[in-house]
Amino acid sequence: MATSQQIKTGYIDYVLTHDEKPKSVYSFVKKLKITEAEFYKFYGSFESIEKLIWAELTAEAIDTIQQQEIWAQYSSRDKMLSFFYSYTELLKGHRSFIVYSLKKHTDRFSTPEVLAGAKPIFENFATGLINEGLESGELADRKFFAKRYKDALWIQFAFLVNFWINDDSADFERTDEAIEKGINVTFDLFQRSPIDNLVEYGRFLSRNVNFSDISSKH
Amino acid sequence: MNEQNSIPTTKTERSAKFVKTGFQIGGNYIKHYSKKLFNPQLGRDELNEDNAADIYKSLSELKGSALKIAQMLSMDKNILPKSYIEKFTQSQYNAPPLSGPLIVRTFTRNFGKTPEAIYDKFNLVSSNAASIGQVHEAELKGKKLAVKIQYPGVGDSISSDLKLVKPFAFRLLGMSEKELNIYIKEVEERLLEETDYELEVRRSIEITEACKDLKNVVFPTYYPALSGKRIITMDWIDGMHLKEFLQTNPSQELRNKIGQALWDFYNFQQHELRAVHADPHPGNFMITPDEKLGVIDFGCIKEMPDDFYVPFFSLISSDVIKDKKRTIEAFRKLEMIHQDDDQAQIEFYYKSYLEMIQLFAKPYTSKIFDFSQPEFFTQLYAYGEKIAKMPEFKQARGVKHFIYVNRTNFGLYTILQELKAVVKTDTYNPHLA
Repeated sequence: MATSQQIKTGYIDYVLTHDEKPKSVYSFVKKLKITEAEFYKFYGSFESIEKLIWAELTAEAIDTIQQQEIWAQYSSRDKMLSFFYSYTELLKGHRSFIVYSLKKHTDRFSTPEVLAGAKPIFENFATGLINEGLESGELADRKFFAKRYKDALWIQFAFLVNFWINDDSADFERTDEAIEKGINVTFDLFQRSPIDNLVEYGRFLSRNVNFSDISSKH
Repeated sequence: MNEQNSIPTTKTERSAKFVKTGFQIGGNYIKHYSKKLFNPQLGRDELNEDNAADIYKSLSELKGSALKIAQMLSMDKNILPKSYIEKFTQSQYNAPPLSGPLIVRTFTRNFGKTPEAIYDKFNLVSSNAASIGQVHEAELKGKKLAVKIQYPGVGDSISSDLKLVKPFAFRLLGMSEKELNIYIKEVEERLLEETDYELEVRRSIEITEACKDLKNVVFPTYYPALSGKRIITMDWIDGMHLKEFLQTNPSQELRNKIGQALWDFYNFQQHELRAVHADPHPGNFMITPDEKLGVIDFGCIKEMPDDFYVPFFSLISSDVIKDKKRTIEAFRKLEMIHQDDDQAQIEFYYKSYLEMIQLFAKPYTSKIFDFSQPEFFTQLYAYGEKIAKMPEFKQARGVKHFIYVNRTNFGLYTILQELKAVVKTDTYNPHLA
């Protein structure tokens, strides 16, 4: 009896050896010496195997960092940084497959189909962090925009994974820098900034001061 | 908490930083002259101060090698106006730190373990910056440790940093391009060595072992097993930095004791080891509660080859200096006088360098030297200023080794002056055989 794990391993082995997916489920199961029914019991298509691998890696990274002793002391910003450091570390062990899996995706402006499973997991994680940050006051609660914070982080996710794939520095050090800078900039934007204060001040003035009065006095 | 959240690292970003500084300095001049229109009494001090603040601000945001250069510039007090110095010396203490997760990441990279798994206690908030890294306090088996962590990408950016610093330094120091190239190359070599923490640990252990019998000097123990490419673990040295120490109004006796320890430490290295801790800025020293000198950073070591050491120190501690022919011969070996110099040039450089060597050697000429006397430093500064204005010194003179040897000895003299120490200068003498 085949297991989900077996099929997955068989699939990874196949695509890394042949640099393309199997011609058909039929030919693939024949090689694996299992029945088609067994394959479909776990997966609807080859794409769903890839999606699952991404989803599993993402969930694993989140799980790992949350078990760190230091986790509770981290700010939302630190938690997000920590996620990306662990994630890229984890991806390192599967680099060939990751590169293969994303290589097919050439449209830089849409989310790769294979990440469809990872996206809700990451977004769920990000939303949790954002809410934590909003509650503690670390992040600014802005009407309309606060709901889009998670989208900005997803863009970073896609950008950083792509950066890592193209990174040829020793030990992917440049990706570390990209994470440190990228996430910090993103969180800087989420934080209360002079712009917020300016908007607040404008609101205050419009409520409390009659502009024409002031100018006529001078 | 004021954590700096981005280091400009790509070349464009960094160039932008320097360009910005250029603009700001330009702006400061405009500000200065427009103010001067209304107030002719306005001195240049304010202008210098404005410039120094801007330069310091951009350099400290840059971190890495640029910060190092800020530190180096701050050592050469004779070149810079006083207000530059005050701002620059700040860079020796605090630069903003990196994020917690990146620190954890650096550990898992080096050791496959998080800092909590390695040490009993580890403070994720750094206690101070060490120009290309930052220092954290940790504890293991009841022992307080200092853990130095290097910023990622430092090695990568050094060469491109130095290229950017070049025009900046060119203007600031008024050096010729050729002279600057020799300087930059030598500095680049030392800086790249400094990014190699494995090398630093090896050298630290060698030198502290060789210096262990020196009186009143203490070193941290280094832990190679807890150190790696980007991390150094050593004992935490409790104590005060020079500035804090001086604020406690130490007795003359104590000043002398610390000064003597410093003198012995440097001269033992120069003459017995022929390799010297070439980073004598005050941030690298601690005065411990039991009144000893703690030396905490061996990132920058300058080795002195024989073809430099022998002619240089023969000028300082033998009769060579009294014999014009032999002195000129030594100057030639040190490339202070060039092959193609004509008779008038030889005469000119002989006189100028003779004055320099005599000044430099002054502490060596008597058995005891009082560094508190201002005349010596006034003469040094005056000489530096005079030289800086002479067109003859716009071109490259002297072998590259002078850069770090001068910096080391000048740094040593400066610290001794700040200590106002009276020091026995004949404790370790040059070996010229």
